[in-house]
Amino acid sequence: MRRATAVTAWCWASALVTLGGVGVLVGFLVLRGGKALGPGLLFGSQPLWQALTGRVPVWDGIWPAVAGTGALVLLAGSLAVPVGIGAGLHLAEFARGRWKRVAGFAVDLLAGIPSIVMGLFGFALILFLRRTVAPTANASLLLAAGCIALLVLPYLIRTTQGAIEALPPSLRLAGASLGLTPWQNLVHVLVPAASRSLSGGVVLALGRAAEDTAVILLTGAVAQAGVPRALTEQFEALPFSIYYLSTEYRNPAELERAFATALVLLAVTGGLLLSARALRAAARRGREAGEPS
Amino acid sequence: MSAVGTVEGLEVWFGPRRAVAVPRLELQPGELLVLVGRSGSGKTTLLRSFNRLNECFPGCQTKGSVRLRFGGGWCPLYDPGIPVTDLRRRVGMVFQTPNVLPTTIERNLALPLRQVLGVPKAEVSGRLAQALAEAGLWDEVKDRLSAPALSLSGGQQQRLCLARALVLEPEYLLLDEPTAALDFRAAGRVEDLLLKLKARHTMIAVSHSLGQARRLADRVAVFREGELARVLRREEIDDRAAFAAALEEAF
Repeated sequence: MRRATAVTAWCWASALVTLGGVGVLVGFLVLRGGKALGPGLLFGSQPLWQALTGRVPVWDGIWPAVAGTGALVLLAGSLAVPVGIGAGLHLAEFARGRWKRVAGFAVDLLAGIPSIVMGLFGFALILFLRRTVAPTANASLLLAAGCIALLVLPYLIRTTQGAIEALPPSLRLAGASLGLTPWQNLVHVLVPAASRSLSGGVVLALGRAAEDTAVILLTGAVAQAGVPRALTEQFEALPFSIYYLSTEYRNPAELERAFATALVLLAVTGGLLLSARALRAAARRGREAGEPS
Repeated sequence: MSAVGTVEGLEVWFGPRRAVAVPRLELQPGELLVLVGRSGSGKTTLLRSFNRLNECFPGCQTKGSVRLRFGGGWCPLYDPGIPVTDLRRRVGMVFQTPNVLPTTIERNLALPLRQVLGVPKAEVSGRLAQALAEAGLWDEVKDRLSAPALSLSGGQQQRLCLARALVLEPEYLLLDEPTAALDFRAAGRVEDLLLKLKARHTMIAVSHSLGQARRLADRVAVFREGELARVLRREEIDDRAAFAAALEEAF
């Protein structure tokens, strides 16, 4: 009885500590950076609409960094999500024996690579390309997105594999007994049944892509680049702006902007989470409307 | 009557363990053959050898022959060229615990209809209504086809599974303890349905309930320690004392 009480208390305390941690963090950011929030933070002194549509350049706002992070997440996601989910499905459903062990080990190895090492890899890749096939190659949005994609790939693979393998064996058997091919069973039965965990993995990976600093520091992020216009150009990104502003600030106002930028990054990742939820709910409503695909 | 199914020299192995051995067994058209025996005596493995579902488990090896009649001709199930997915469509299966797909009631039937039979969208609703009616579920679900299948009661879920098998118009039905997870009343409903369906499908059912075996079976196949021990005819089943004695010997 006493042990049960202790476990309950421990669980409650842990939950409260977590909640408290998040509360203190957000509160601190709001306290330090809240005043700097506003259109001025994003667009500086430029007119909002013209800045938003890219007709005038923004030099003293973080809008280019917001757009850069958006582009980075979108690009890295479109590179990593198909490969990650595909590899996860392969490991869960089709890989067997020795191959499964070897491939799984490779994924774990990839997951263990620190992001700064991934950044160095991208940097070295550019140097290599310059000396060999592409003398004009440079750190760029594409390179950063590629390295970020590689960084988040193991999350996607493992969550996909875990989600599919966690499904009850009876479900797999049900599909097979109906005469579905392994492929149909996977696409129409197993993946929909695991969709919540799958989208969770995607959101985690995209969140990680949005917040990583070490990789982009070495592969394409700069302090002043404007809104990203080409894959081969350097870009601005929120985590890099935070890093830059908080280490190089010249007055309290700039430090305040760093905190406000952190709030914006938090809002971007939070927004990702909410939109993933909304997407999932929409997908479920679509399926439940009885539209058999 | 000539047989519609034969099993000859069947042995199913999982790795080093032999799960079941059946030297010879015939299926009569339109009969309900009930397999009884202790847990682990190979009943379910024999059942799954009729739709080759044993192959979904690691290390499975099947020796011997199993043949079923489809339309006019014999189909040797373990010949290399046999399309397994088509076989499983023609030999429907209902499992011990209801395993509805975690989606809507409607989609549980629409999915196999569209994907396995390739039925055009326009025909889906009519055919699924018919299958649900055959499984005695239509009146209970017709107003909430888009509700999650998991919101149904256990007995309703099991009848949905039966409807899902029936919607593919199978010639044979395999039933793996179809009422084991149900209460007395829901089990009774499923039993009534099976008796009705017997007219059109040859059925093989695993049962742990000897009372159920007596109520449903045309013949009872008794399994002991992974081997088919004997097959009891209806006369022997009706003779309570002889039935009990035969089972006593087997258990």
